[in-house]
Amino acid sequence: MRATTADRAATAPNTYLICVAAWLVPGAGHLWLGRKQKGLTFLVTLTAMFVFGIWIEGRLFPFQFSEPLVALSAFADIGLGLPYFLAKAMSAGAGRVVAITYEYGNAFIIVAGLLNMLVVFDAFDVAQGRK
Amino acid sequence: MALFALFVSTAFAALMRDTPGDQVRFGARLFAAFMAAGIVLGWILYPFPL
Repeated sequence: MRATTADRAATAPNTYLICVAAWLVPGAGHLWLGRKQKGLTFLVTLTAMFVFGIWIEGRLFPFQFSEPLVALSAFADIGLGLPYFLAKAMSAGAGRVVAITYEYGNAFIIVAGLLNMLVVFDAFDVAQGRK
Repeated sequence: MALFALFVSTAFAALMRDTPGDQVRFGARLFAAFMAAGIVLGWILYPFPL
């Protein structure tokens, strides 16, 4: 028998733990909550966006608060969670400002991070039984 | 631009619609809107120098 929304909310182990998982691995929150198709879509799409952005020489911005736009970009970048930290650990995402694809790469990386933040909010709503 | 539109419309479709059929229809419409907006804005901005 398919669980109702209220059942899912009641049996959700920990809403905040789900949100942390959803942030760390794109789609993990939805996979945890049994929404496999959505979870896999987010996992593949957002990870591909991030990897493509790095591949076309986009940059992972540092938290440089003297430059507010750079700090905001860093905040958006870190929205993707584990792939961001993995890329940092592998010294990827240095960016090459003179590359013609630099700004396109930044757009892919930043938007992937921001979309994952929306996915985390969606996972929170699902875990709370609102969706 | 097309790849970016494809990724973003796929993610938004999965976020905003629940059934696979609705997701495909919404995603396709969103992708078409992104492409059309890109082409129209490209033509509007064409006369302006960088």
